[in-house]
Amino acid sequence: MKSLSKNAFLVSVVFILLLAALDSLLGAYLNPYFLRVVVNAGIAAILALSLNLVSGCAGQFSLGHAGFMAVGAYVSVALTSIAFPQTWFSSGLGVGAACLIGGLVAGVAGYFVGLPSARLRGDYLAIVTLGFSEIVRVFFLNLEWFGRARGVSGIPKESTFFWVYLWLAVTFVVLWRLMRSSRGRAILALRDNEIAAEAMGVNVAHYKIVSFVTSSFFAGVAGGLFAHYQGFIDPQSFDFSRSVMFVIMVVLGGMGSLSGSVLGAFVLTILPESLRVFEEYRLILFPLILICLMIVRPQGILGSREIWEWGRKK
Amino acid sequence: MGAKKVKQALLSVENLGVSFGGLKAVSNFNLSIEEGSLHGLIGPNGAGKTTVFNLLSGIYSADTGQFRFEGKELRGLRPYQVCGAGIARTFQNIRIFGELSALDNVQVGFHQGCKQSYWATLFRTARFRNEEERICGSAGELLEVVGLGKLGKVRASDLSYGDQRRLEIARALATGPRLLLLDEPAAGMNSSEKVQLMQLISHLRTKAKVAILVIEHDMKLVMGICERITVLDHGEVIAVGTPSEVQHNPKVIEAYLGVE
Repeated sequence: MKSLSKNAFLVSVVFILLLAALDSLLGAYLNPYFLRVVVNAGIAAILALSLNLVSGCAGQFSLGHAGFMAVGAYVSVALTSIAFPQTWFSSGLGVGAACLIGGLVAGVAGYFVGLPSARLRGDYLAIVTLGFSEIVRVFFLNLEWFGRARGVSGIPKESTFFWVYLWLAVTFVVLWRLMRSSRGRAILALRDNEIAAEAMGVNVAHYKIVSFVTSSFFAGVAGGLFAHYQGFIDPQSFDFSRSVMFVIMVVLGGMGSLSGSVLGAFVLTILPESLRVFEEYRLILFPLILICLMIVRPQGILGSREIWEWGRKK
Repeated sequence: MGAKKVKQALLSVENLGVSFGGLKAVSNFNLSIEEGSLHGLIGPNGAGKTTVFNLLSGIYSADTGQFRFEGKELRGLRPYQVCGAGIARTFQNIRIFGELSALDNVQVGFHQGCKQSYWATLFRTARFRNEEERICGSAGELLEVVGLGKLGKVRASDLSYGDQRRLEIARALATGPRLLLLDEPAAGMNSSEKVQLMQLISHLRTKAKVAILVIEHDMKLVMGICERITVLDHGEVIAVGTPSEVQHNPKVIEAYLGVE
C-alpha cells in the first residue's frame, strides 16, 4: 500500500530498463519462432486482461472483443501505412502514437457498445457485442481503402517484445489499481447484485460504461500492436472465433483474477504450439484438454484469486 | 425559513401510487416520518409493503403522488440518487455482494462519499490512500456496531443468514442515511438474535440519530419498538396510530383475522 510516488517512479524506470535489456537479449539468442510465440502471448494477455474487466469484474458478457481489436488495428494502420506512409508515423514512436490513437478510437466504440448494457444483460448483451464485432469486420471487408478481403500488407513492423510487454505491464497496473479502489469495488458490487449496488449509491450505468470504455481502449491498443507485429492484417484476423478465444482465456484463467487472465492467455497461446508434434491431432487434443480442465476446475485455474494468493482459501 | 424547516417532517409522502398492468399495487399512500422516529409498516402478505419500499428507494417509479425528503422532491430519481439524498434500505430477500468480503460489502456503501478522480485512483495519490484508509476504518467500525467485527474478511455469501441481514444494515448505514428502510430485518432470526436486533435498532436511533421505517411480521418486535405504525392492506392505508391504537382498530383485526 505504501507505494510512494518516488518509489513508483524508480520501479518503472528499472522495469523499463530490464525490459529493454531482455528485449535485446531475446532478440539475439532466442529462436525467432519462440520469440514470436512469446510476443503473441503478450498481445493475447493484454486482450484477455481487458476482457476480464468487462466479463470477470463487471459481469457483462462480451463476445465482441475482436471487434475492438480490429478498430484499434485498422485505425493505427490507417495512420502508419495508408494515410501517412514513409513519414514519422512509420517510425517506432510514430507507431506507438498510432497504437494509442487506435486505442482511443476503440474506446469511443466501447462507449457506444456500453450504452445498451444499461438495459441489456446476459445473453442479450452478448448478442449486441457479437453484432458489433461482425459489423466492424464486414465494414472493413467492404472498404477499398483497406484492401477489402486482401487486407493491408507492408505495415511497418515496429511493435517489438519491448512495446508489447510494456503495454501489458501498463494494462495490468491500470486495471489492478482501478479494481482496488472505491470505483473498483463499485464495479464488483454491480456484478454481484445490480439492484443492491444501485440502492447503495453506485451509478450502475456509469460504471458499466466505464468498464466497457477502459476495456475497449486496451483491446484497441493491443490490436495496433498486433497489426504492427504481424505486418499484415485482413478482416479475417478479427473474426468471431478470435473473440471466443479471449473469452476462453478469461474463463480458463479465472473470472475476475487479473493474473489468471495473463496465465490463461499464455497457456492458450503456447499450448496449441506445443501440440504441433501431434500434427493434425492437436486440433482434437486442444479442445479435449480444455474440456478436462473445465471439469476439474470449473472456476478456472485461479478462480477469483491472484497467482500469488495460490493456496489461500477464498 | 429555518423555523419552518424544523417543523417539517423528515419524509412526507402524499398520495403515492403505482400499478402494474391492471393491478393497483399501492394507491393513495400517505406517510409522514419525523426526524429520528421509528415508524412501523405492517400488513398481511401481499399488502404492498415492499412495493412501498421500492417506490421510496427509487427502484420502482411511482405513477401518482409525490414524496419529499428534507424538503426535496425525490419522486423520479434513480435509486443511487435517492441513496445520495439520504435514504438507505435493506432487502427482504437478502441482496448482499456475495463474492466480496463482508468488509468490502460495507466499503461499497461509502462509495458515494468518495470523491477521488480517476487520475488519483490510477496514480494512488496520498489523498487517495488516506481516503481508502479512512473508508476501511469506518467500515470496520460499522461491522463492530452490528456485531460482525471479527468477520470482516469472510466472504459475504459464507455468512449465516442472520449475519447477512446485519451486514445489509451495516452496508446501508455506510451510505450515511438520515432515514433507514428496514425490510423484515428479523426474518429468519432466532429469538436471541431478535433481541440483539432490537438493541441495535434502538442504538441506531439514539447514537446515530437515524429515523427508521421498518417492515416486520414479528408483532412482538413491532409493537415493542415502534412509536407509530401504518397498516397497509390491498395497497391502501387502513390505519395509522400508536401500537395500541392500531391493535384495537377493527379494520386491522378484520384484515388480519377476517370477520364472521
